[in-house]
Amino acid sequence: MIRFESVSKRYPEGREALIDLTFTVEAGEMLFVTGHSGAGKTTLLKLIALIERASRGAIEVHGRNLARLKHRDIPRLRRDIGMVFQDHRLLMDRSVADNVALPLVIAGIPREDRGKRVRGALEKVGLAGRGKDAPAGLSTGEQQRVGIARAIVGRPALIIADEPTGNLDPQLSEEIMQLFVGLRQTGITILIASHDLALLKRMKQRVVVLDHGHLIDDVPASQVA
Amino acid sequence: MSARVAMGSPVRHSRVAMWRRQHAWCVRDSLRQLARRPLGSALTVAVMGLALALPLAFYLLLTNLQHLATALGDSQSVSVFLKSSVAADGADKLAATLRVRADVAGVTVRTPQQGLAELAAMQGFGDAIKSLSDNPLPFVLLVEPRADADRVQVESMVAAVRALPDVDLVQDNGQWRARLDALIALGRRVTLLLAALLGAAAVLVIGNTVRLDLRSRGDEIAVQRLIGASAAFVRRPYLYEGVWYGLAAGIVAVLLVLVLEAVLAAPVRDLVASYAGRLHFGGLSWVTLGVALAIAVALGWLGAWIASSRHLARTKS
Repeated sequence: MIRFESVSKRYPEGREALIDLTFTVEAGEMLFVTGHSGAGKTTLLKLIALIERASRGAIEVHGRNLARLKHRDIPRLRRDIGMVFQDHRLLMDRSVADNVALPLVIAGIPREDRGKRVRGALEKVGLAGRGKDAPAGLSTGEQQRVGIARAIVGRPALIIADEPTGNLDPQLSEEIMQLFVGLRQTGITILIASHDLALLKRMKQRVVVLDHGHLIDDVPASQVA
Repeated sequence: MSARVAMGSPVRHSRVAMWRRQHAWCVRDSLRQLARRPLGSALTVAVMGLALALPLAFYLLLTNLQHLATALGDSQSVSVFLKSSVAADGADKLAATLRVRADVAGVTVRTPQQGLAELAAMQGFGDAIKSLSDNPLPFVLLVEPRADADRVQVESMVAAVRALPDVDLVQDNGQWRARLDALIALGRRVTLLLAALLGAAAVLVIGNTVRLDLRSRGDEIAVQRLIGASAAFVRRPYLYEGVWYGLAAGIVAVLLVLVLEAVLAAPVRDLVASYAGRLHFGGLSWVTLGVALAIAVALGWLGAWIASSRHLARTKS
């Protein structure tokens, strides 16, 4: 599903964000990437979505070698990935349903199908019947749920989430993580960057630990405690 | 991709149907954005509409000047007014002299009676002519230069005729026409230049409006790119926005010109009547107005395309 082979990323200003990373994520697996601020978590996710390109090494996502992917093919790759952001990145001048429907509009899905899928996605994240609400009227946790609904509505095989609970209190964080666990059970591969070690311990999923761009530990789910 | 079955298998859609649906969404999105700032949109349309109306108005003026030139006649004929002392046989003799010239194609003798009848036929002169005790008009020779004669040859012939002792006055109609044609050609050039400058201004106005819109919706564009929107998809609503601006401005420009035509209709009707129907005043044809509208749409699209291309190039991710 996802394969990193000796991947390094050096930014133009010279900073080494990732150094010689090698790991694999199987289809349907849930993986946490953790580490202190600046460890390279976000860069790792950016490389998967081709927001940045690796300086060295090979990355394979869904069987695609990202180094060989042309710029014009990047949108197609991203349509196969659901992205969840720490700050939700909702369009505040659109309704909840419009926000969730955006990936379907981009994919050219018919309007009637869009309606059904949006309702289904909102139901999955516990926001059934809230489609007409304005995002500004939702709580932070609900806004993140909308973000997750938008990520899953396109039926992606992979979800990547960058600090999805970064702005949430512990109880809401737990709820959001349980949502991800539920999604994983439907067969979606999930990669979450988080620095919340207490939360990771409770989730009992595989954890990859980064430090100054190096992969220093890869803890299987069974050994997380 | 096992996860793809999680929420049901994806429906396959033809590319054309997808493209159509994306365009339908972009059309709605562009109209919604315009409706969100009605005053700003109206001002942009008004500025662009006025800019486009100006060359159209000039074009209307030139078209009618062309009609006026046509009404004045195509020939380069020269009217030779003889002295009042010259009688019919003197006029005929002079006409015969001129007919043998190599640069003259023909000469017509117009008698004072014919001249008076012509004046009487023109509106407004009837009563004045009735009050005359005798005919004050002289014999007039209408000299038609050879068709292949150029202006220099005609002017040289005019100078020779003007030097004849029985000639009182020589009116070179062709010179008038040449001056008018030159004036119209100059006007055409000026109109083209004006149209180009104002067209460029319209592109800049639309481009700047779309640029500001792109900037204010930067976050939305970033989200769209991150969730898989192609550059073409991101750009499309802004191109439509430019098209709507162009269309609306084109309609404003056409309406302004139609209003101008309506306002000028009455005084021009009087002018036409004084030319006994020889002068034709006409508004711009529907084809011309349609072309103007199409150009306005194209300018709007171009402005939006330039602004969106620059923005996308800067925010490439």
